[in-house]
Amino acid sequence: MTRQDALRLIIQEFPREPIVVTLGQTVRELVALGRSDNHLYVLDSMGLPPAIGLGLSLAPAARKFAKTVVIEGDGSLLMGLSTLATVGLLKPERYLLVVLDNGTYASTGGQPTAAPVVDFCRIAEACGMAARDAHDEAELREALRWGRAVRQPALIRAYIDNTNIPAPYFLEDPVGLAERFRRYLEQS
Amino acid sequence: MRNIADPLAAEPLSLSGTGRAWPSVEERSQAIIAALEEIRPDMILTIPSSTLKHVLAAFEGRADIPVVPLTREEEGIGIAAGMVLGGGRPVLVIQDNGLGNSLTALATFPQAYHIPLLILVSQRGGLGEYNSMIHTFCEHVEDIVRAAGLRAFSLDGRIPAEQWRTAIVKAFEYAQITHRPVLVLCNLMGF
Repeated sequence: MTRQDALRLIIQEFPREPIVVTLGQTVRELVALGRSDNHLYVLDSMGLPPAIGLGLSLAPAARKFAKTVVIEGDGSLLMGLSTLATVGLLKPERYLLVVLDNGTYASTGGQPTAAPVVDFCRIAEACGMAARDAHDEAELREALRWGRAVRQPALIRAYIDNTNIPAPYFLEDPVGLAERFRRYLEQS
Repeated sequence: MRNIADPLAAEPLSLSGTGRAWPSVEERSQAIIAALEEIRPDMILTIPSSTLKHVLAAFEGRADIPVVPLTREEEGIGIAAGMVLGGGRPVLVIQDNGLGNSLTALATFPQAYHIPLLILVSQRGGLGEYNSMIHTFCEHVEDIVRAAGLRAFSLDGRIPAEQWRTAIVKAFEYAQITHRPVLVLCNLMGF
């Protein structure tokens, strides 16, 4: 399963829900599938998307949607891993974190991360979250449906390969990105 | 003589020639509490400092203004900014060396995306400090924050406590109208 295969399934399952998207190749490949105002593109801030999504899931606007989704990479999740403890503490039932795990820092040349020796699902469960793996598109499709239905914060570890779809750099002004996203939440 | 074993014990330092004592830790804390009561955040996100204990104790157990412990100050930047985007009204309450853990997050997310945030920051490492090494970072915080382009205001013992409340409330409002994080550096021990 490529990253873009996984992204396509995520946005099919969550077409209108707020989605926080981690930096680098993930943002670029999601934009290549089509811009959408319900997507918050995080252009840097490695390690922060899970926390941003946590804050969103606690905010008044989140009540309008079934879920607040975070798309994260394995390297960035390792940087912000302790956020899972705070997710477990606050228990936002709308919080869904999808980790696209290829065991590498894809945007910087494919250097390995520590993800292969880390059991993200067990860590998430130890923090009071629900969790499951997905190894291919069929499993991810099913996991995303489960993620929509589960009534507690949840993590899906989606194993992807090292394919990087060529996509241009995404160079839009972050001020505009935040405003479009904020208005989408406000007007939904 | 200050009791080193209890550095926060009230022994007000006085301004030379005025006979007027600097505000005590308790007075400064009460001013911060009053400001937060006026702002009425929907959440206080914190990694506590010992000098903030009176402030945080005032909100402990409150359902209307819950106090949430963070694992890292950086995480709090993300949570707070996400809440604001979704219409929330959080305030961060942290120690100044926590800004060292937060700089990239601050600069690349709320600052860059123009997300208003109030961050109350307890200053350490100045006169009255009891920790022998904390100044190695803390005494540089104002310069670091300025170099990073973050807007900060400072409150210390030279400013009457009754003015702290107004300053903090105005800092919250200023963050909203300038669409950016605003830091209030609060020295609760001295200056």
